[in-house]
Amino acid sequence: MNVHELEERVSAAKRETLARGETFYPGPSRIHLAAFPPKERWDEWIDVGPRGEERRVLLVPTTCFNCEAACGLLAYVDRETLQVRKFEGNPEHPGSRGRNCAKGPATLNQVTDPDRILFPLKRAGKRGEGRWEQVSWDEALDDIAARIRRALVEGRPNEIMYHVGRPGEDGYAERVLAAWGVDGHNSHTNVCSSGGRAGYAFWMGLDRPSPDHANAKVILLVSSHLESGHYFNPHAQRILEGKQRGAKLVVLDTRLSNTATHADHWLAPYPGSEPAILLAIANELIRTARYDREFVRRWWNWQEYLEREHPEVEPTFEAFERVLGELYASYTFEHAERESGVAAETLREVAELVASAGTRLATHVWRSAAAGNLGGWQVSRCLFLLNALLGAIATEGGTYPNAWNKFVPRPIYVPPHPGSWNELTWPREYPLAMFELSYLLPYFLREGRGRLEVYFTRVYNPVWTNPDGFAWIEALTDESLVGLHVALTPTWSETAFFADYILPMGVGSERHDLHSYEQYDGRWLGFRQPVLRAARERLGHPVRDTREVNPGEVWEENELWIELSWRIDPDGSLGIRRFFESRERPGEKLTVDEYYRYIFERSVPGLPERAAAEGLDPLAYMRRYGGYEVDRGIGPVFAERVPEEELVDVRVDERGRVYTRAPRPDSPNLVPLPSPEGDAEGRRPVGVLVEGEIVRGFPTPSGKLEFYSPTLADWGWPELAIPTAPRSHVHPDALEEGQAVLISTFRLPVQIHTRSANAKWLDEIAHTNPLWIHPSHAERIGVRTGDLVRVETEIGYFVVKAWVTEGIRPGIVACSHHMGRWKLGDAGQRQMMATVALEHEQGRWAMRRRSGAEPFRSNDPDTTRIWWTDVGVHQNLTFPVQPDPVSGQHCWHQRVRVRRAKPGDAYGDIAVDTERAWAAYRRWLDLARPADRHSPTGERRPYWLLRPLKPAREAYRLPERADA
Amino acid sequence: MSELLRALAVLSEPPSRQAARVADVLGLGRAPSRVEWTELFQLELPPYASIYLGGEGWIGGEARDRVAGFWRALGLVPPAEPDHLAALLGLYAEAQEAGAPESVLRALLWEHLLSWLPVYLAKTGELAPDPYRRWAELIEETLLVEAARLPSERLVPLHLRETGTVLDPREAGAEAFLETLLAPARSGVLLTRADVRNAARDLHLGLRVGERSFALRALLAQDAEATLRWLAAEAEQWAERHRRHGGALAPVDELWAQRAERTAALLEELAQTIGKEVSRV
Repeated sequence: MNVHELEERVSAAKRETLARGETFYPGPSRIHLAAFPPKERWDEWIDVGPRGEERRVLLVPTTCFNCEAACGLLAYVDRETLQVRKFEGNPEHPGSRGRNCAKGPATLNQVTDPDRILFPLKRAGKRGEGRWEQVSWDEALDDIAARIRRALVEGRPNEIMYHVGRPGEDGYAERVLAAWGVDGHNSHTNVCSSGGRAGYAFWMGLDRPSPDHANAKVILLVSSHLESGHYFNPHAQRILEGKQRGAKLVVLDTRLSNTATHADHWLAPYPGSEPAILLAIANELIRTARYDREFVRRWWNWQEYLEREHPEVEPTFEAFERVLGELYASYTFEHAERESGVAAETLREVAELVASAGTRLATHVWRSAAAGNLGGWQVSRCLFLLNALLGAIATEGGTYPNAWNKFVPRPIYVPPHPGSWNELTWPREYPLAMFELSYLLPYFLREGRGRLEVYFTRVYNPVWTNPDGFAWIEALTDESLVGLHVALTPTWSETAFFADYILPMGVGSERHDLHSYEQYDGRWLGFRQPVLRAARERLGHPVRDTREVNPGEVWEENELWIELSWRIDPDGSLGIRRFFESRERPGEKLTVDEYYRYIFERSVPGLPERAAAEGLDPLAYMRRYGGYEVDRGIGPVFAERVPEEELVDVRVDERGRVYTRAPRPDSPNLVPLPSPEGDAEGRRPVGVLVEGEIVRGFPTPSGKLEFYSPTLADWGWPELAIPTAPRSHVHPDALEEGQAVLISTFRLPVQIHTRSANAKWLDEIAHTNPLWIHPSHAERIGVRTGDLVRVETEIGYFVVKAWVTEGIRPGIVACSHHMGRWKLGDAGQRQMMATVALEHEQGRWAMRRRSGAEPFRSNDPDTTRIWWTDVGVHQNLTFPVQPDPVSGQHCWHQRVRVRRAKPGDAYGDIAVDTERAWAAYRRWLDLARPADRHSPTGERRPYWLLRPLKPAREAYRLPERADA
Repeated sequence: MSELLRALAVLSEPPSRQAARVADVLGLGRAPSRVEWTELFQLELPPYASIYLGGEGWIGGEARDRVAGFWRALGLVPPAEPDHLAALLGLYAEAQEAGAPESVLRALLWEHLLSWLPVYLAKTGELAPDPYRRWAELIEETLLVEAARLPSERLVPLHLRETGTVLDPREAGAEAFLETLLAPARSGVLLTRADVRNAARDLHLGLRVGERSFALRALLAQDAEATLRWLAAEAEQWAERHRRHGGALAPVDELWAQRAERTAALLEELAQTIGKEVSRV
């Protein structure tokens, strides 16, 4: 048959196949054909195995749980065995659109991990001794519930705390705690994104960026978003789309990261100098009048700035422009070069690029420099200044405030705000902190500021993740400080070793959650569900309790919290049970089906209609597809006119803030929003008067973008009230002779914190963290790749291998996150945890590695093939706590000395001096400006700022003043 | 030929049930397995133009940018992997169906397909299991039909001409020599992992598992002269192989053949030099 005949034969076969209503081509994305199994075949799909074997599978969607991006997964469930064969991307998920990073498919490893915790465990010996006994869920829950009930009845609500690493469903845990009436939410955010959040929040009230990368002309990242970080997969694919359409990518990253390698302009600044660079670009825009004057005139609170800071100046926009020019005139490219080490000429080129972007400038920072430096929150404040100058806010290709691209549907119950204030999480020293001062908890407990009766750690590993993990061990092993520690975790962690109960939680395919994240200018919902439950239900076998389908007795949290709440308040006398009762069957427990049915039927606009069009009810639709886009193209909400019905007995103040007596309309979307104060007569802020029109504005006190933050000025930080470049604690002037800066927070693309150590595919790819060191630095100290070096911090040292590379600036060293996992004995995760010995004597801790990872026999033959022994070094143990006095963010960068290892040093050695750790804590605490000295209102914190689990207003009063 | 090209493109994607049906329609005998697909397209012969046309022999870089530029010139947004074999065949099929001018088809055919695929497919025919061997033959036959229909009056594509040749280790050092030897467009030789294994086997040398350059360096360290002679013979074979179309693809084939001959000469000279040094010792 010649090729012409073959062409005809293929065409005929295609015609015949299409005529039968089937797909001819399998959908290789590279030739632009259908890329995924057609959704009408998800009940009965034939999957081809590695050797051509065919399997009948059901395709069931869920949501990845390995990072916050919440990308869609599609589980291939074998119809014969009802086991998950693999996970691929869910094409129906609006955020990830069928694409995943390595961590998504590796969920399968987490499901089948031979070391996973399958049953509730209770400690058998002393806390931390490593002896466990299996107990029933009933026994564990009765014990925990009784302690919580006693604490509540005895008026000790602040002794109940829930400390979360990876949050599940938006607001679910907060509502549980609110139902219990406790201010007990604690998060990991202050070791993560508080710095980034603060900079955004002081500008616009909302604390996250939602860049429209795909439509940008210039993308400016102070992050490594093509490889890691929050929303990296949804963002990375849109950044690449933007690049394919011709966008230029500018990356600020001290390391030559994978993201930097894709940049059109890679700037490798000295750590902490990022604000100086950003302000130099801003200065260029201002100096050359290449900013959007109309946008600035309409939407910045420049009048307030002039009135308060320059009363001598006539309050006109032209006068403000003059002042603005003077404010930033000293931020020249030459100044930025001196600070950052990046050539002025390069910075000028980047500034030209930024200027050319107009309203299509997509910018992003989340952790990175914002989480590394004292004053790091000014990185996001200075970055967003560029958007604010160009008017690139909520524009196509610009950057949106997150809340406008997020949808949190109203659930069946919304309990009231708790009436108490917990100073263990919200101490008065940090009134402006974005989130809880979680990593200072051991210090606060040791100082006697409080104790905990029941402490939940939930998918959180503070002993490993937080700075000064030994302080955590000391607190967790002291039963007078922590009465009961309950670790809710799918896998072993260094923190779980110090628990009283370990309660096994499901991984991404074994639990329910609802997510919505700002990943483009649209709002979507992603539904995480136990896939075997959904599969069985699709095959006609209803499931009442997720434990019926999960491995062992692994549970999910939604059902757990309902059950636990009933046990705390079995007769309803505490007023808790009512928030966990069925409405369909009064007096009975709420089920997850009813909970989600309520949401999908009543709180998600358009979903019932979309489902009906396919002959499904809304819950069945979400179980089948796992994702739903509520709407897209939200646009500039701030410029929308306020509808007439919301304007009742309106008052407009002298700066244009508009107040109304009309009640806030009910919204099905409960996305957290700031709550600017009303006027003295009881009206609520509803908008802002711009050019004679009442428009929504921004959720800030002024209703405008707050170039000048009166909040910062009034609460003790007037010198930081406008975007500025504070001096980092690792500024060259702050270093002693011979000191270097250690960057410790960068991630590896295939790992996620400590949660993915139970994924063998990921571990095989990435399992160590050598110290990046520049050749000139290495030569100076006589070190070559592979040599052991001792990295000395303020409180101790760790011993690690060197990796000599030009991918890092001279004088800076870097060591990745994720690595250095350890266990004390047999219990633990064997493929990524070294076995160590701990010594503690007179305030000094030492850790020494006894053995690395080793092959072992299990039900997975791959565990006999483990070829790596090195699992990296746990550097965080040697870091002192370094709270930023404004944002509360732990400032991760470290001042260190790097030396050749000393005789007797061994790989993985750790030593820490607790006294020095305490001294560092006190020194940083002294930087704070406490509310009881600086609060202008007699309250603990500006009420308008976002706060998780916001207490009732009365609880905001500082006790001394309340007494007075 | 658009449907045939699209069907052939499917086979370079991971096997699936539909791909098996396409294989059947194409008369490939049987459907390739995922193991075979991985071995061929992931480990031995990744099907990206940039590897075979770029001066570095790597995926991406300027060679990929050049392909991406062609997509853009057609007013299309280049996909993430614009130089993948499936993407290029799919593009050709689409352009043909859309009634693109002959000048466009000719440029795509001669600049981005015939400039490397004959070399790539020759090796595939040698290495691959039956279904892929037949698949390679069919692609080549189809492209030859297209080449006859759309003869090019121009000489070899500029980017292929401008790629340098293998660097002499006595001037540029061993590292650069090995890198350029492994860049097909420079050396005229396509050395796969399997070839390096064969070299070790033929020469009775120890094979160190790793990247090709690592394994080759190990062979050279063990017996430089024999290894260089083996490589020279391989390059001479390639020169013959490039000329197998008997003039149908003359300008392109000839350039590849000359590159291989030049490489063979350099390798032979190096072998002799080393042989003399050894005999002096």
